[in-house]
Amino acid sequence: MSGTGHTVKSYEEEMQSLNDNLVMMGSLTENQMADAMAAVIKVDKESVDKIVKNDGKINELRSTIDNQITTVLVKRAPMAVDLRITISTMKISHDLERIGDLAKSVAKKVKPLPVDLPDELIGSLRRLGDLVQKQLKDALDAYLNRSKDKAIEIWKKDEQVDDLTNLAMNEVATYLQKDKKNLEMATHLLFVTKNIERAGDHITNIAESLYYLIEGEYLEGARPKGKPVES
Amino acid sequence: MELNNSKIKIKAKNLNVYYGKKQALFDINLDINQKEVTALIGPSGCGKSTFIRCINRMNDVIDICKVEGSVEIDGAEINEKNVDVVTLREKVGMVFQKPNPFPKSIYDNIAYGPIIHGAAENKDQMDNIVETSLKKAALWDEVKDRLNEPGTSLSGGQQQRLCIARALSVNPEVILMDEPCSALDPIATAKIEELIDDLKKSYTIVIVTHSMAQAVRVSQKTGFFHLGKIIEVDSTDKIFKNPANKMTQDYITGRFG
Ligand SMILES: Nc1ncnc2c1ncn2[C@@H]1O[C@H](COP(=O)(O)OP(=O)(O)O)[C@@H](O)[C@H]1O
Ligand SMILES: [Mg+2]
Repeated sequence: MSGTGHTVKSYEEEMQSLNDNLVMMGSLTENQMADAMAAVIKVDKESVDKIVKNDGKINELRSTIDNQITTVLVKRAPMAVDLRITISTMKISHDLERIGDLAKSVAKKVKPLPVDLPDELIGSLRRLGDLVQKQLKDALDAYLNRSKDKAIEIWKKDEQVDDLTNLAMNEVATYLQKDKKNLEMATHLLFVTKNIERAGDHITNIAESLYYLIEGEYLEGARPKGKPVES
Repeated sequence: MELNNSKIKIKAKNLNVYYGKKQALFDINLDINQKEVTALIGPSGCGKSTFIRCINRMNDVIDICKVEGSVEIDGAEINEKNVDVVTLREKVGMVFQKPNPFPKSIYDNIAYGPIIHGAAENKDQMDNIVETSLKKAALWDEVKDRLNEPGTSLSGGQQQRLCIARALSVNPEVILMDEPCSALDPIATAKIEELIDDLKKSYTIVIVTHSMAQAVRVSQKTGFFHLGKIIEVDSTDKIFKNPANKMTQDYITGRFG
C-alpha cells in the first residue's frame, strides 16, 4: 500500500481487509501444498481426507475476496495503485485457489499408491515439491514486501521447476519400462508430477500479477533479452 | 513528453499568472493536441480555471490579473497586442460550470453570436445556422418545436447543451469547458460526455473536471495541477493506471492532505 492512507477511512479499511484475506489465503495454500507433498512422500493415506476438506476454506476465501473486490470497484472506482492492487488481488486469489485445487488433487492420488514407493521416485518428487513450495513461500513474501526483484527472480526460476518436472517424469518412465506391471502406479505418479508443475505455473502468474501491482507494467515487457516472449 | 503524432493545437510556454501580488500559475508549459480532449484535474484553487482563461484571454477582463509568457494557437501568439480578442473568443469558445443561457429564446441564444458577426445574410441562412448548431450539440430533436421558448425554460442538461450550441454557432476550433457537468444529474452528464466524444472529431477540447471517472471517460490526455504548478501531464490511460508522480497518485487515489 502507498505510504499515506486514504482520506476516506472506510476505503482504507476495505483495502486492508482485502490484503488480510489474501495473506490468509496464501498461508492456507502454503499449508495445503506442504501437507499434500508430505502425504505423497510418506504415502500417508490417513491425512488425505483432512487435506481435501481444508481446500474448502481456500475456496471460501476466494469468494469472499471476489465479493469484496466487486464492492470496491462499484463503491470506489479505484484508480492507479488502488486499481492495480484490486486487479492483482483478484488474479492472485484465483491462482491461489487453483494451487489449492492442485494440492488437493495431488493428495487424492495418495490413496491408490502402493505404500512401498521406490526411493528414487520419492527423491525426485521431493526435490520438485520442495522447489515449488519454496517458490510459493517466496511469492507470498514478495507480495508482503512488495518486492519487484523477488517477483522477477521467482518468475525466472520457473525454468528450474520445468527441469525438475522433466527429471521426475523420466524417472517414472524408466521405472515403468522395467516392469509394465507398474503401469497404474506410474500413471498416478505422472499425474502428481504434472499437478505440481502446474502449481508452479500459477506461482509464476502470481509473480507476474505482483510485478504489475508494483510497477504498473507487465513483466513480459521486461523479459531479459535472448528470451523471446512466446505468444 | 509527446504521446503520439497528433498535431499540437495549443502551446502554453512559461506561463505565469498573477492576481495582484498573488501568483496563481507558475511557469506552466503544456501542449494541447488538436482534435483531442485534454482534461485538467487538481484540487480547488490550483489554477485550472485561470489556465483555461489564458487560452482565450478571458483573464483580460479581470483588472488585477496579469499574464506573462506565451500561448500559441496553431503557432501564432495570442497574447500579442494586435490580436483581436473578439475573433479569438469566437475561435476559442467557452462553456462554464453553471449553464448561462441569455434571457432570450432558444433561437436567439444561438443566433446572437452569428448576428453580431454578420454571419448570416438572411433568415434562411440564420435558420440554418441555428439548426446545425443545435444538431451538433445533440439538442435539436428536443427543442425544434419550441425554438421561441426562453432558453431558461430548458432543463439544466439541455441548457448546458444550448450553451455548447451557442459556442458552436460561430464555428470555433477550440472549446474550453470549465466543469461543465458539475451542476448536472448523471443522465444529463452522460449526454454531455457523449457529446464531447462526438465533438472531438471536429474540435480541440479542454475540459476542467473534478470527476476522475469523467476525465478517464472523455479525455485522451490529462494534466494534473497543484498549487499553480503543473505536476504531471501524460496520456489519460497512464495517469489513471500508473502515474509517474507520487503527488498525482495521492490525488487521484484520494490520499491527499
Ligand atoms: N478573479 C480573481 N481574483 C483574485 N484571485 C483569483 C481570481 N480568480 C482566481 N483567483 C485565485 O487564483 C488561484 C487559482 O484559482 P482558479 O484558477 O479559480 O483555480 P481552480 O479553477 O483550479 O479552482 C486561487 O488561489 C484563487 O483564489
Ligand atoms: Mg475552477
